[in-house]
Amino acid sequence: MSGIRLERISRRFGGVRAVDGVSATFAPGKVTALIGPNAAGKTTLFHIVCGTVPPDTGEVYVDDRRVDGLPAWEIANLGVGRLFQDVRCFPRLAALENVMTGSRRQLGENPLAALVLCRAVSRAEKTNREKSLRHLGFVGLADKALALAQDLSYGEQKLVAIARMLAGESTSLLLDEPTAGVHVDMAHRIMRLLRELAATGRTVVVIEHNIEAVLQYSDWVYLMDRGRIVSFGLPQEIIESREMGEAFFLKGSVAEA
Amino acid sequence: MNYLLHLVVMLSIYWMLALSLNLLLGYGGMLSLAQAAFYALGAYTAALAMVALHLPFAVAVLLSVALAAAFAFLVSWPCLRVRGDVFALCTLGIQVVVYTVAYNWMGLTHGPFGISGIPKPAMFGIRFVEPESFAGLCVATAALTGILSWRLYASPFGRLLRAVRDDEIAAVAAGKNASSVRGRAFMLAACGASLAGVLYATYVSYIDPTSFSLDEAILLVSLVIIGGAGNFRGPLVGTLFVLLLPEALRLLRVPDAVAANMRQIIYGALVIAVAYFRPRGLAGSYQLE
Repeated sequence: MSGIRLERISRRFGGVRAVDGVSATFAPGKVTALIGPNAAGKTTLFHIVCGTVPPDTGEVYVDDRRVDGLPAWEIANLGVGRLFQDVRCFPRLAALENVMTGSRRQLGENPLAALVLCRAVSRAEKTNREKSLRHLGFVGLADKALALAQDLSYGEQKLVAIARMLAGESTSLLLDEPTAGVHVDMAHRIMRLLRELAATGRTVVVIEHNIEAVLQYSDWVYLMDRGRIVSFGLPQEIIESREMGEAFFLKGSVAEA
Repeated sequence: MNYLLHLVVMLSIYWMLALSLNLLLGYGGMLSLAQAAFYALGAYTAALAMVALHLPFAVAVLLSVALAAAFAFLVSWPCLRVRGDVFALCTLGIQVVVYTVAYNWMGLTHGPFGISGIPKPAMFGIRFVEPESFAGLCVATAALTGILSWRLYASPFGRLLRAVRDDEIAAVAAGKNASSVRGRAFMLAACGASLAGVLYATYVSYIDPTSFSLDEAILLVSLVIIGGAGNFRGPLVGTLFVLLLPEALRLLRVPDAVAANMRQIIYGALVIAVAYFRPRGLAGSYQLE
């Protein structure tokens, strides 16, 4: 495994350069944070890695395999899991069903197999169900397994989406603001989980606005501004850097009087 | 007695149609107005296979289902590129095209004159000529369709179809080929409708295009919506309710000319009432607050 590598990625929307010549490497076994002000191009970069938005130019490699141009579902099946900023649960499915859907390449998803190979399909379903219940238990929603996702609170829906992502057992995980809108304790729990996932060799990339979480839980930080990567380094370095101030606040210099 | 058997046959046929549409409308969130077209395709293929080619019933069934699946595959290509309202419009187009072809291709379908003399089914050495045996065949086929539908609805495929209905982008991010899932549902629904068409053609032994018009397609949609889309009970409840209610008019001895119009008014009122009071259908799942 060699993580995710981006080479000279650009993407325009009309006249806006959402992503402008970005090259970056997200290393396996590390939590890499992607920070920057709104409209810096962070989410677009995620879209490009996942194949939901094709890049105008540039190349995307996941574990040394070139993936740009592949359909999004195929990229997901190559081991890229994603948590959306706007959660995107399946509202009319139960929480448990949401998580069960996250499991990749299920035999019974082929209708003919579902009708003919009943035994094998129901055995796989049983395993999937137990596994999904464990994931739900992990995020603390075991007692809401049968509730429809639309009846859960925003924070709970986020946890369901995280459990669904975990069910995919992906080697690379892209999380868009995983801690926004959830309780502080849960936010720390999620961050600790991400550390654990990275410790097993997975590539974890997080878009994060919570600077404290970035400092505490990430190994490397990319700072983006106006479609470009303006800085890369250790969390402490980046937070204290001049670029950080320029990206989030005002650009200026002190002149001698 | 024959009247009751007639009802059993029609209920079986419409239940099958409703089950197939429910897969699309309830589980897949695809409002298809083309189910009557696939119903027609099944009926016409079986009729022509048996009348013109003198093929046995079993072969006619296979041919009908295979042709419906192939046609569904073909039209799913343009239809499934669009979602929601535009999908409904696309299927409306297919419905109109199939109806128009059936109405005007004199050489093949005899247009408005229809095809007559369709023989009764014969299989395993049994000829289903008597009303009793034919009703038995229909009930058995419908039950089989019901079991298969139940399995599909409850399978990972059914769950995935509902997931794609709810959020296609999230399903794709979970590694699911959403277009293929929708396409498969579309083909399966076409197979179910065509099978119902075969039974209908052999039952009435004469078909013409009027049985497969847009009105029919809309009736099927109303069956599913009135009964409750997206669950197994819905199609059965909807079929029983919508088909048996007009029969009640017979008991009231309303003159035929009046009854036909009253039926339309009742359908309309029913759809409005259900939409207003039980938006998930008569047999929809409701939670008590």
